[in-house]
Amino acid sequence: MRFFYQPRKLTKNRSEPLTATQKERQEERQDALSFDLAQNVQTLQSIYENCSDVVFRPLRVGGTTKATLVYIDGLVNVDELDSIILPSVMKSTASDPLEMQHLFEQTLTVANIQKAKTVAECVEHISSGHPILLIDQQNEAFSFGIAKWEKRSLEEPTGEAVIRGPREGFTESLGTNLSLLRRKIKSPKLKTKSMKLGAYTQTNIIIAYIDGIASDTLLEEVEARLARIDIDGILETSYIEELIEDNPYSPFPQVLSTERPDVVAANLLEGRVAILQDGTPFVLVVPVSFYSLLQSSEDYYQRHLVSTAIRWLRYLFLLISLLLPSLYVAVLTFHQEMVPTTLLLTMSASRELIPFPALVEAIIMEIVFEALREAGVRLPKQAGAAVSIVGALVIGQAAVQAGIVSAPMIIVVALTGIASFTIPRYTAGIALRMLRFPMIFLAGSLGLLGIMLGLLIILTHMATLRSFGVPYLSPMAPMQGREMKDVLIRVPLWKRNKRPRLTGTDNLTRQGPNQKPNPLDGDDKTRKENRHD
Amino acid sequence: MNKYKKRKKCVIYFFICVNCLFLSGCWDRTEINDLALVTGIGIDQKGKDVMLTVQLIVPKLLGAGTSMNGSNTGGGGATIVRSGTGKTLADAIANLQEKLPRRLFWGHVKAIVFGEKAAEAGIRPHMDFLSRNPQMRLRSNVLVASGTAKSVLELLPPIEQSSAEVMRELSKSEILMNATLKDVLQMLSDDTRAAALPMVKILPVEKGKTKLETIPFINGTAIFKKDKMIGSIGDKLTRGVLWLRNEIKQANITVSVKGVKGKITATIIHAHTQLIPKYEKGSWKMVVNITSQDDILLNATNFSLYNEQHIHRLEKELARATTARVEAALQKVQKEMNADILGFADAFHRKYPKEWNRVKKRWDEIFPTIEVTVKTKITIQRPGMNTTPQGIPAEEVEK
Repeated sequence: MRFFYQPRKLTKNRSEPLTATQKERQEERQDALSFDLAQNVQTLQSIYENCSDVVFRPLRVGGTTKATLVYIDGLVNVDELDSIILPSVMKSTASDPLEMQHLFEQTLTVANIQKAKTVAECVEHISSGHPILLIDQQNEAFSFGIAKWEKRSLEEPTGEAVIRGPREGFTESLGTNLSLLRRKIKSPKLKTKSMKLGAYTQTNIIIAYIDGIASDTLLEEVEARLARIDIDGILETSYIEELIEDNPYSPFPQVLSTERPDVVAANLLEGRVAILQDGTPFVLVVPVSFYSLLQSSEDYYQRHLVSTAIRWLRYLFLLISLLLPSLYVAVLTFHQEMVPTTLLLTMSASRELIPFPALVEAIIMEIVFEALREAGVRLPKQAGAAVSIVGALVIGQAAVQAGIVSAPMIIVVALTGIASFTIPRYTAGIALRMLRFPMIFLAGSLGLLGIMLGLLIILTHMATLRSFGVPYLSPMAPMQGREMKDVLIRVPLWKRNKRPRLTGTDNLTRQGPNQKPNPLDGDDKTRKENRHD
Repeated sequence: MNKYKKRKKCVIYFFICVNCLFLSGCWDRTEINDLALVTGIGIDQKGKDVMLTVQLIVPKLLGAGTSMNGSNTGGGGATIVRSGTGKTLADAIANLQEKLPRRLFWGHVKAIVFGEKAAEAGIRPHMDFLSRNPQMRLRSNVLVASGTAKSVLELLPPIEQSSAEVMRELSKSEILMNATLKDVLQMLSDDTRAAALPMVKILPVEKGKTKLETIPFINGTAIFKKDKMIGSIGDKLTRGVLWLRNEIKQANITVSVKGVKGKITATIIHAHTQLIPKYEKGSWKMVVNITSQDDILLNATNFSLYNEQHIHRLEKELARATTARVEAALQKVQKEMNADILGFADAFHRKYPKEWNRVKKRWDEIFPTIEVTVKTKITIQRPGMNTTPQGIPAEEVEK
């Protein structure tokens, strides 16, 4: 069973020639700053040709030495520049390089000051919002960490609402996101590795994990898969997701994406690895199993009995969302003897005037429902009401009255639609919704046999899937009895003594023993035990 | 190139697999609107031919789904009957299908009714067909109409959807005989070679209603020997037979206690009958042990049921009444009709297999000569909500 923990290597050691973008990047990086201010400024000006938002501000340090401040308007906190940096730089008496060194390193009241030695470094600082001060007769530039740009404030993630639980969500700012994580896990064991992806976007990526819990092989694999990405731009974590998945053709998501810091923190604590990206509130978590996609963070915030019941409800509705329309079609066209007589009579009475076969009717209605859903997501809020009226009245009532679709079919479609939204992860829900269509076709052509066939194909496919080496259906297949405690039921927190074995390999113990509250048995006993420890 | 070849191979394999699905050849896809849902089957004898009558539900008349139009207010008109004739049941079906635009669907047959004449002519060939058809349900009820089966199926019951449904519900209540297709097949192939099926009659039409607006109801039992009906017994005797067959579920017994005015009715809560066969020196004997727990339903006497002795007297009376009923049934079924619908043959076969095997060919001669002793024990569990008779002054109550 050991091989499960070894992530399957997806990256190959390629010795292919560098691509054009890579070459360009390397050349740029190499040229160091010269001692000549004019030349340095000219180099930067040629790089930032036709960039109207880049400001070149010539000035004199201490009234004597020539210097030029370069920054991008809108990415820099101009107030601080005006009130702190410029006065102390311009009014200082420093004239030779040593004194200037002293000025920047010790008297300037800015926390983050860095030196840049090459043009490429300068460009990097400028693009990330750090003003650069180029000084005459020096081959080093100083950068000031006073970046500031417009950000969205913390909001509750709309896609993953909870009744009980923290209401903050990630934002588009990487720094904020990281601070949100850091506020949840204060231990210095929370490590973050930074990298840049995208030749043009130069997007900051951070791999977060907890040292000592996440396994090294997993971390190596994540880094390797990220390292082989060579793309012009990364605009959303979905770009990364598509480029690091184990099976790119599968309809099922093999990576968890979430907007909630608490979800990420919980996953980090189970030994998973998070990938954060600048510019999107969605954070990726790997590896995942299918069952973790069916769990909501609230499962752990509600009482465990309630959560268990809700989990079962979700499993039931998962089946409904996948199978209900196909079962209806199969029973109506192949297995009429399976329905109780009265129900069959009701259904057949309602279908009496319908011009389409059940299969066609189901397909039409399912497609209409999907269109309604899609329109509801894309439409501006003002038009949303119109869609719901059209959906409810025209598609629902009028279509039945006009005798185009039967009333039971409307019920089936509505129930299926609702069922697919009970799955907490939108990506998992949409995968099942998509698979519904081939299932309807199979049911319409082969009946229950076709449904079994479809289910077998789906199951076989899911059983072959892996997410970063972890079997997709684990812990159900391969069966791991000990870990079933978080699949079919949600065990109380005081019973979750061990981390999942497939992810938290390095440090399996999650918490101390005897966590079950037991006030009647006397506090003394537990206190004594603790003292002995 | 290699990649391309691989892909081509995959496509070919895929098509082979898909085509395998069509090799099975039979595709039984049928839209529900193309089916004629049969709820009841009637089988009548018409000269030498068999006449098959099916009761079909007409979904159009049900009104569901098209409730907006609201044209169907008559109610109870949701079924029609069609008949076909042929040399055998299968022939008759073929003949019937000619007269129907929709395919006959037997998956929802609730009741199979034999006309009296068809029952007398023998039901075995029909039963064979019914059990052979894959669509037919072995759970459908089998009944015998006292007239023709068609006349029963034609009825349009005012409450239930179809007369077949009425017959099924009545059979299910188990007040009288209840037999499903499976039961009948078992009875016919048993050692006893006799069967008992519920008999249906048509309830007289109420005034002001049309001729068809009534229901069939179960009244009496048809007795079959081999596969032919040889006669019928009434309600009271049927109850006696049910006691013997250990099938009694619901029954009231009304008795009057000696020397007391008025009557007392008890109802069965639980009843059990045990057949104890005995074979001694060439004589076949049967002890029937009946135990039953009763509740008092009604007490029209001035007897206080709080008194244990009164209860004992009452229990004895109830036992006597039950025994009398069972013995009457025995008299008719065993002595007169000589049809072993009581399961005696099975009981003997189980206990004395060797002896029984010797006589099984002449069981017909032995069965009427069996000495039957009926022993009944009835206990009264609860006297109901009242312990004393109600509606009379306390002084008149016999404590």
